[in-house]
Amino acid sequence: MATPLPAYVAQRRADWDALQALLAKQRSGTLKLGELRTLDTLYRRASADLAHAQTFYAGTDVHRFLNQLCGQAYASIYQPPRERWPAVRDFFRREFPATLRRERGFVGASAVLFLLGILLGALVVLWEPRGAELLVPSGVRHYVAQGRMWTDDILSVAPPNSVASGIATNNLTVTIVTFALGLTGGLGTLFLLVNNGVHIGAISALCAREGMLGGLLDFIAAHGPVELSILVIAGGAGLMVGQSLIDPGELPRGQALAVRGREAVKLVLGCAPFLALIGVVEGYVSPGDLFPTWLKAGLGLLLGALFWAYLLRAGRTVAEATGAPADSAS
Amino acid sequence: MRSAPTPHLDVATPERVALTLPVAGIGYRCLAWLVDASLLFFFWLVAYFVFTLLVSDVLGVFQALSGVGQTLLVVGVFATQWLYWTVSEVFFHGQTPGKRVLGIRVVRMDGSPVGVYESAVRNLCRAVDFLPMLYAAACVSMLLTRQHRRLGDLLAGTLLVREERIDLDKYTAAPATSAPLPQGTGARPLSPEDVELVLSFLSRAPGLAPEVRQRLGTRLVERVGPEDAEARAAVLASAERTEAFLRARVQGER
Repeated sequence: MATPLPAYVAQRRADWDALQALLAKQRSGTLKLGELRTLDTLYRRASADLAHAQTFYAGTDVHRFLNQLCGQAYASIYQPPRERWPAVRDFFRREFPATLRRERGFVGASAVLFLLGILLGALVVLWEPRGAELLVPSGVRHYVAQGRMWTDDILSVAPPNSVASGIATNNLTVTIVTFALGLTGGLGTLFLLVNNGVHIGAISALCAREGMLGGLLDFIAAHGPVELSILVIAGGAGLMVGQSLIDPGELPRGQALAVRGREAVKLVLGCAPFLALIGVVEGYVSPGDLFPTWLKAGLGLLLGALFWAYLLRAGRTVAEATGAPADSAS
Repeated sequence: MRSAPTPHLDVATPERVALTLPVAGIGYRCLAWLVDASLLFFFWLVAYFVFTLLVSDVLGVFQALSGVGQTLLVVGVFATQWLYWTVSEVFFHGQTPGKRVLGIRVVRMDGSPVGVYESAVRNLCRAVDFLPMLYAAACVSMLLTRQHRRLGDLLAGTLLVREERIDLDKYTAAPATSAPLPQGTGARPLSPEDVELVLSFLSRAPGLAPEVRQRLGTRLVERVGPEDAEARAAVLASAERTEAFLRARVQGER
């Protein structure tokens, strides 16, 4: 026969209180080495008490209390390795580019969708000029009709730096949403990719028809390559999430989603700082004619080449370099 | 006896004891979000007013900032809105300030604390959970999933567990009165359910309406009290005596 409940609590409570105090210390970071050993012992004792309570006092407050106590102790004893600054450095030196190369299929699919969108938008406007009314925002059409670049006005209305910050945050939002919409089974990501492509294609085609292609190139040359690459990478991340929803493989859908989501978010996190930097270029260099077009184009191509060189070369392992698949060892 | 009627998270520990943690439902989560959101809102409100108090010409100062400084400021403001959640979840063991107030905590599906990636995933997905407005998608998802997880939680493999404040003092509190009480002769030992029942009645009794207090006390005495009618009548004479008897009965179990 089990001990009566009040007697049991009175007998064991000292240990539980001590464990709680140690956990509070651990959380505030003042735990000493000797106390760590005590923490371990007390946790094991509390686990044994929990097993006892499950058998004899199921459903009582003591049971709930021990559950919670052991849960907290379990969480602080079995901690995952902490990510610190060296881990951040390692992430950008090796992990982010490596993840991108591993998931190149998705990034490629995203790029294809995006290019498809551009082609679609351009063809529609070139073949059927009135399609522009549908595909190009009316504000932009208004400017083009007057033969001016709408981007010139960005400068005259607002100082360049506020444009830069506005563009940077806008791009971040688009990137986040493109990734997160992967949760709609990839449909939302797909829509955003094609939609953005159609917009860009339609605007370029409209400018080309009005003989303003030079002006448009002048504006997007400096930041375009990197910015569109990042959109495509975020799209790839979204497609990864969508694919794990549609075809989870051998895992249950929930687990597949969690595993792939962890991989996909690396692509988004890795892109974030580059996006902020390119926002500065878009705000300072691209608008107006402070810089000649050839300089802008050269800068854009250089930045794009650097970005992709980093993505494709950084942290390459020997196995990758010789073309052998990394997971062939298993 | 059903021990966990609410949704819960089962954790298998290496100590071979199954932990059962209660999962925080939609109410807790909405309240925690409200606390966090108003915290952010009031932070910027106060920051703005302090700034305007210190500086008379706000626009002038802003324009006088160098371009890069200004860009960094706006990007910083934007980043706080997104980073607030992830940074506080990573550094405060899965709790934003709002979650701490409500006593809920983000954990992985196996009960371990969240890392940077999980937290980043679940917080970036706020962009989708918020759609079409005011977290409608998140609410639908929380209502449909067994463990009240929103879309971001599904993608990150996390959920929220609740921490209750459980008072063990009621088990060890000393009897308040020393008045002579009829001890049931040959009283049978109480089961843990009876002890729990009596203790929860005793901790709630001061807040009950007099007649309810009397009625519940009587029923408990009938369940655990002395067998012979005379002793029982003596115990039931007043609410104070009834409760004193019940307390002594539970304490007598030591």
